[in-house]
Amino acid sequence: MATQLPKTDVVIVGAGWTGLAAAKELADAGQRCVVIERGDWRHDASNFGAPEEHDELKYARRKEHMIDTPTKTLSFRNNADQTALPMRRLGSFLPGKGLGGAGIHWNGQLWRPLPSDLEMRSHYADRYGEDILKGMNVQDWGMTYDELEPHFDFFDRVCGTSGVAGNLNGETQDGGNPFEGPRSSDYPNPPMKASPPLQMFRDTAEQMGYNPFHMPSANVTRAYENAYGAQLHPCTYCGFCERFGCGYFAKADPIVCIYDVVKDHENFELRMNSQVLRVEKSEDGKTATGVTYVDENGREVFQPADTVCLNAYALWNVHLMLVSGLGTPYDPETGEGTVGRNYAYQTIAAASVFFDENVWSNPFMGAGALGMTIDDFNGDNFDHSDLGFVGGGYISANQTNGRPINYHPTPPDTPKWGAEWKQAVRENYLHHVGIVCHGSSVAVPQNYLDLDPTYKDAYGQPLLRMTFDFPENDRKMSAYVLSKAEEIARNMDNVRAVSTVNRAAEGEKYSIVPYQTTHNTGGAVIGSDPKTSVVNRYGQMWDHHNVFVFGACLFPQNLGYNPTGPLMGLAYWTLDHMKNDYLQNPRPLMDA
Amino acid sequence: MPQFSRRAVLMQLGASGLAALTPGAALAQNRYAELDTQPWSYLDGNEARFLASMADVLIPEDDFPSASQAGVVDFIDLQLAGPYGQGAGLYLEGPFGDGTPEQGWQADHTPASLIRTGIARLERDDTRLVDLDADEREEFVTRLSEGKDFDLGDVPAKTLFDEIWALVKEGYFADPIYGGNKGYAGWEMVGFPGAHAYYPDHVDKNAPFPAPPRGIAHVPGTRHSADTASALRGADTPKEEG
Ligand SMILES: Cc1cc2nc3c(=O)[nH]c(=O)nc-3n(C[C@H](O)[C@H](O)[C@H](O)COP(=O)(O)OP(=O)(O)OC[C@H]3O[C@@H](n4cnc5c(N)ncnc54)[C@H](O)[C@@H]3O)c2cc1C
Repeated sequence: MATQLPKTDVVIVGAGWTGLAAAKELADAGQRCVVIERGDWRHDASNFGAPEEHDELKYARRKEHMIDTPTKTLSFRNNADQTALPMRRLGSFLPGKGLGGAGIHWNGQLWRPLPSDLEMRSHYADRYGEDILKGMNVQDWGMTYDELEPHFDFFDRVCGTSGVAGNLNGETQDGGNPFEGPRSSDYPNPPMKASPPLQMFRDTAEQMGYNPFHMPSANVTRAYENAYGAQLHPCTYCGFCERFGCGYFAKADPIVCIYDVVKDHENFELRMNSQVLRVEKSEDGKTATGVTYVDENGREVFQPADTVCLNAYALWNVHLMLVSGLGTPYDPETGEGTVGRNYAYQTIAAASVFFDENVWSNPFMGAGALGMTIDDFNGDNFDHSDLGFVGGGYISANQTNGRPINYHPTPPDTPKWGAEWKQAVRENYLHHVGIVCHGSSVAVPQNYLDLDPTYKDAYGQPLLRMTFDFPENDRKMSAYVLSKAEEIARNMDNVRAVSTVNRAAEGEKYSIVPYQTTHNTGGAVIGSDPKTSVVNRYGQMWDHHNVFVFGACLFPQNLGYNPTGPLMGLAYWTLDHMKNDYLQNPRPLMDA
Repeated sequence: MPQFSRRAVLMQLGASGLAALTPGAALAQNRYAELDTQPWSYLDGNEARFLASMADVLIPEDDFPSASQAGVVDFIDLQLAGPYGQGAGLYLEGPFGDGTPEQGWQADHTPASLIRTGIARLERDDTRLVDLDADEREEFVTRLSEGKDFDLGDVPAKTLFDEIWALVKEGYFADPIYGGNKGYAGWEMVGFPGAHAYYPDHVDKNAPFPAPPRGIAHVPGTRHSADTASALRGADTPKEEG
């Protein structure tokens, strides 16, 4: 029997970006919050210092900050005709564990969605007619850019985002992204420096009539006190962002930006090394009563709560719903049910640019969000009339790192190993840049999440099962955007060779092996129709009004942008409605 | 079985491997030299010789050391004896199916047992990779990399190749605290300055960054400067001198 603890106001599952933001906002609003996190306690000051943290083998290869597959993994197949097999090793995506979640080892590329992204179905139907979306479960998000803007703006001030505004209150600004939605205030910090290849990308893109700008970055460019009063420091361009914690307090993360300012709050309690097994439901099934978890001593504990927040990362939120019987699981045969529906991913392609000896890229000088970007082929920023696909992606010359175990760019037709390979690695290492195409991903009926019938995790629970392959739409999109990136690459000066890779190439299946992105989306989507969404437009479950859901599982389909900016905008929007409406009078905030 | 020292075992590498053991400048400088008198942690002599021969096909000697010269076999030995080799980070619950390439590792083995079993089956008729000449070694590694013509039971040949190749690259380029990358061979070769990284004043400059590499253990490198690397490159491919 589980030990029962005294009731709390709010229980929060997961101490990553969304969980700690929820704890801070709700504790300030007078709610007693218990945060339950399955990983270890850690801190930038004591755990992520250089040079020890700059250990490529330990963190980038052995993946010490990430989930441990023997404890937690999922099973995977490309389509329903295959038998799903466990993801035995991490590869395509790297979910986090421990204080700060994946927000510790992220890159800090901090985007907002386009206004049209949030109304994708209506927007495309209006401009091109419904037919363009045939065979896809593309949906509107249920709220507009203008409704979310104050929350994007706030999160920019939590992170100290750096960049150049392209649209300030409706006025187009020089040097920024002309396609972005209006910002109510400028970036808190000036843009990052541009390395030589980024400068060359900017010049070439400009000559070709595109609109290059500095990628919005949560790698902070000067000393900055954030919206909660926490202190951040300038980035050192050390090249150890993605997969590493930042001991410089320069990459905005949930520990430095939020945990430090809530940890001593009387309404805040954190329980580490505690794995939530399920959300418990009331007898009538209409509400949740709390969560059952295995604590650090291996005891099963029931924590009752008035309100339950799911902040366990996109995939694990869906897993918790499925094992707890929250909502109705999606059935791909009938199209009914919503939990697990509309799982989507990120469609990644890239052009590799090999310079001659006159261009020193020095790739080890980098930062997670050091990029020069164009948005001319993202979302519906370009005419899709005759293209045969929807969506798009940003094209960005990125200089994130030159870590030597992994960074071995070699020109086309180089052997994969041996003397010639070795020579090519040596010749190209200091003279190369990658141009990434960071593409959207539409939701289709055949891609979904459910429970695996065979395989179990360390707690005896069925693994989450992922059924996914790149939809035809996204393959076309990716080929198109990549062709534009390749054109830019070939137009740059001092280029000896260009090669390309497309993860969604025609004829190739999605593979769970090579790293792509930790941008798993959907499965518990937000919306205004309970038939096609798990939560209403406020992030509240339709079926259980005291369960609120956070993270990229809410995205009805995936954007051409990285998810954290959009999902944190949604998080602060949900928290706003909880604080100012729901908690005074708990009830469904929308009629089903 | 007697435990041979690393040096004694690798001494038997055969013709093309022998050069690997002439203590050159790089080897003499390495701070792990003391390891050379110790027995292996996981490997036996045959396995070490197999891995050394294969690693040196993958990363042969040129102006920079070969894989085994840079300590890659020491590195692999320590990795296989440690948590990684013993299956940390690998979900090993059954049932096991072949799966598709897209589904990744599905072998019912830890990395250590995959490599041990794989080598034993590859050499079960007592033909040893180490006894082949350079061309034959290359041909063998090519076939293994294609995963063709090998029946290794429950060890997929392609998985075995990929695993060894991944370990070889790690051993050549990981921080020297793990026993490989001796004398910063891998880092000097490409021009990576190491773990002590602070570049706000350099990141926007189109210029070489001539700093000797330094790893986590603060041991400074010896030889590298971007100029040296550049000059070496120039010597090999004169027309590309910038
Ligand atoms: C390598 C990498 C690079 C990235 N780069 C970027 C980027 O540049 N830009 C961007 O926008 N996004 C990026 N991301 C994605 C970003 O990290 C996530 O979007 C973000 O962290 C999501 O926040 P979250 O709160 O939903 O989940 P997380 O931050 O993952 O936090 C979830 C927490 O819940 C805990 N948890 C899960 N299940 C349970 C359970 N059952 N019981 C108890 N605790 C549980 C986990 O241990 C974890 O700590 C990157 C991710 C990775 C891995």
